[in-house]
Amino acid sequence: MTELPENVLEVEDLHMIYSGGVHAVRGISFNVNEGESVAIIGSSGSGKSTVLRCINRLIEPTEGRVSLKGDQVNTPHTDVNNLRSRIGMVFQSFELFAHLKVLDNVTLGLRHVRKMSKRDAKERALSVLERVDMLDRVDAYPGNLSGGQKQRVAIARALAMHPEVLLFDEPTSALDPELIGSVLETIKGLADEGMTMLIVTHEISFARDVADRVIYMDEGVVAEEGPSSIIENPKTERLKKFLSSLHEDDVPEQANE
Amino acid sequence: MLEHDTRTTESNAPAVSRAVTVALLMVLLCLVSPSHAGGFESSWAVVESGTSEDLLTAAEYDNQIWVFGTGGTMLNSSDNGVTWQSAESPTEYDIHHSDSGFGSLLVAGDSGLVLLKQSSESDWLDISLAEVSQINDVALMGSGNIVAVGDGGAIFRYDGGIWESVPLSIQNDLNSISFYDEDFGVLVGSNGTILFSVDGGETWDYREPPEGAGEANIVAVEYYSPVRIYAITDDGSILFSRSDIVAGTDVGYVWTLIDFERHYPPGSTDYLLNPSDLDVELTSLEVLTTTKLMMTGAGGYLSISTNGGTIVSQQINPLGNDTDFNHIHMLTPFVGIAVGDDGAILWTEDAGEDDQVGFAVPEYSNFGVFVDETKERFKDGFIATIKIVSFGIVLGFFLGVTLAMCKTSPLSLKNLVERFEPMQVRVAGAPILVAGLYMFKSAIPGTRGLGLEGIEYIFLPIGAPVSFARILLGIAFTFLGLLFLSNDGKFSKIKISSFNFNPWRVRPLTTIVNVYTDFFRNTPLIVQFLFIHFGLDLGGAIKTPGLEYFSFEKLSQDHNFITDIFAIYDDNGTLIGGLLFNTTFISAFCSLGFNSGAYQCETIRGAIQAIPSAQMEAGRSIGLTYLQTMRRVIMPQAIRICIPPMGNEMVNLVLNSSLAMIIGYAEITRQGKLIVAQTFQYAYAWGMVLISYFVVTWTLALFLRWMEERTRIPGLGITGGD
Repeated sequence: MTELPENVLEVEDLHMIYSGGVHAVRGISFNVNEGESVAIIGSSGSGKSTVLRCINRLIEPTEGRVSLKGDQVNTPHTDVNNLRSRIGMVFQSFELFAHLKVLDNVTLGLRHVRKMSKRDAKERALSVLERVDMLDRVDAYPGNLSGGQKQRVAIARALAMHPEVLLFDEPTSALDPELIGSVLETIKGLADEGMTMLIVTHEISFARDVADRVIYMDEGVVAEEGPSSIIENPKTERLKKFLSSLHEDDVPEQANE
Repeated sequence: MLEHDTRTTESNAPAVSRAVTVALLMVLLCLVSPSHAGGFESSWAVVESGTSEDLLTAAEYDNQIWVFGTGGTMLNSSDNGVTWQSAESPTEYDIHHSDSGFGSLLVAGDSGLVLLKQSSESDWLDISLAEVSQINDVALMGSGNIVAVGDGGAIFRYDGGIWESVPLSIQNDLNSISFYDEDFGVLVGSNGTILFSVDGGETWDYREPPEGAGEANIVAVEYYSPVRIYAITDDGSILFSRSDIVAGTDVGYVWTLIDFERHYPPGSTDYLLNPSDLDVELTSLEVLTTTKLMMTGAGGYLSISTNGGTIVSQQINPLGNDTDFNHIHMLTPFVGIAVGDDGAILWTEDAGEDDQVGFAVPEYSNFGVFVDETKERFKDGFIATIKIVSFGIVLGFFLGVTLAMCKTSPLSLKNLVERFEPMQVRVAGAPILVAGLYMFKSAIPGTRGLGLEGIEYIFLPIGAPVSFARILLGIAFTFLGLLFLSNDGKFSKIKISSFNFNPWRVRPLTTIVNVYTDFFRNTPLIVQFLFIHFGLDLGGAIKTPGLEYFSFEKLSQDHNFITDIFAIYDDNGTLIGGLLFNTTFISAFCSLGFNSGAYQCETIRGAIQAIPSAQMEAGRSIGLTYLQTMRRVIMPQAIRICIPPMGNEMVNLVLNSSLAMIIGYAEITRQGKLIVAQTFQYAYAWGMVLISYFVVTWTLALFLRWMEERTRIPGLGITGGD
């Protein structure tokens, strides 16, 4: 945390109405500062993933404004490919390129977006793969990796582009409980290194441990926002209710093993 | 965590051996030995002469053939030249020439030797000419009427038992004499000498030799018919004279030197084009019909021309090239002999013409013979099929991939205009609308002019393609113009009760590709072949400009293996190969490719849609453009998925290529049809065609199976133990 945190990501009055008429996001505003990790929590259907996708324009927001370091993302005039290359994204179901080996998955963007030479790309890819502890499987195909390994490769793929902000779309919800740990460790390590991150997650305890701030979304609006301590001391009824419904399953302890 | 990446290494081993099998099979197919269209063998037979003297001349007398040679050799044969016996000879001088007719046999030779036999029982009458050293030729023009010629312009007539010298102003050597009847005769000699007599040899007129033959030593002449005379020179030229009705000249007045068009060496079909002469010392000439000539020469030269000398085929000589042939004599157009040095006599009953081995109708019902006779054709057809199939597959695949990408492209009208201000779009809309309406208006005259009525208008695209295109463009432009004019920046849909339509969602690329695929998938391929080749003449339309680009002038300077793909010329500038050689080939593979492209498009589109949409999102999220993601992420996976249905499509393409026969492309089905027409062996021919197709498709299927295995992505598809 710096004294004067720079605004990396700014979301203003974001609305998303799907073509079927579903009003998924109803006017959301927040920002993410340099080096900050922000967690978005909320029950399913609350519009968390939609917000994330609007940020790198995988879906076109109906209204509102998203900007990355002052550059507006959602106008037809912007070079969306360039902006996306500055925003890393990690998907719930990994979405590794199944036909490419681990190394090639990571170098693809470097070679064809960053236009790096084969050697430089490989060098950088190996360094990020080392960071996620996947150096021993660089020649494997994604199909031969376990879920946790896949997700770490996906993180490496996003990291390799040196993004200004990293978006996580429920990075652990497709994983078995015993595989979650390694992924969360990796993300935590990134947070400690000062990576700017926006994490949509179900892992409440993880959000509490990693996030500097937590945004609780409900029915398309920000229901409560504050430092991660709000998880211990929710102010609103809705968040209390949500947290108590989670405590019935009580998984958070495993996350930090 | 303990999984190992073993699948790829495991599956490579059988894949490699299969690859080798396939490669070997392909190589074997290419190596099917080309059989040359049979060989030739001589129809001349060597017969035993019983002598080793040089045999110089032959004549026919009293149902016998007589042959004379050096040292007074005389042989005769009573069985048309098959067996020979020596005859008693009254002389030891070399006999050079002979003639027969009017019940007499006449020979002449060294030291003025002239012998006459006036009946088969009678002895030789010695009427030698003591004053000349050698007589070069003698001719009988009546009973007891003889003309003899010699060196230095010597001509003697024998009439009523006495020799008389015919005075002549020239000193050239006279070599050969030929009389058509008792009066008309021709005489040739050195330095282009040609003399003509119309009075039985009493007086001789000098005739102009043809241009270029002024120095020629004319060695033999034959007055074949009242209108036709042939002569040969010892430097391998043929002279010819005939009466010309148009110019009003009789035979013998105007002489021409024959321009050789081709000269075939013995037993070969590779000829020498436009030789200036036959490159041989010709010795004798036999004219069999108005256009068929036989010639002999030094160095074992025997040849035939069946078209008056312009195309000469040297025949195979069973004695080899060491024997000089001196005289040829045919009893009939088919039976005859040629005599030469060292007692050589060749006999033929087949006009001396080389027999094409296997020229007789082969016994096609014998399968071995059938295969031997037709394999060349099958091979040609097979290669032709492979050619259009490979080109068709490549074209179809590229078309299919392109079309599928267009068809799945999310580019909508909204995407196209949203980056502009609504006002700009509206301003652009007005001229587009005007252009659209103008298109309609300009289409009217062409449409009306056809005089179509009612349902007949469905044929408008053929009757007035330009008008039809204008109508289509008119519809598109009017639609676009109205849409743009209505743009308010909201891109909202049109809603009329339950009818729900957003014109901004129209995807122009998809629409265009839909028209293409619908057209090619809803019309029969065979009609497409006919329309594209005969209707559009696509082959010609590509060939003509193509050849302008790959012209002989350009390629003769600088041709390489790439231009060789398109056009290959021989030294004379004649197109002999390359893609542009054959218009039916171009049309055939284009039709196949267009058709297959439409089907492959749908197959690939299906595969693209089978890729999880998040793969596109993942690609885009790292900053790849839409096309980059398609190329690097979606297509590589989609192609792997669609290998099995693509295999189907390609097998279909191979089988469909048989329809190319309809436009005359000589692929294997057409070859099969031609073979049936020649051999009438339906079962053999069509069975072999079937097997050929099976080999192609089966190889293709093996290849695709191998591809599928090689490119399989770990983690996709069914697994779970072997």
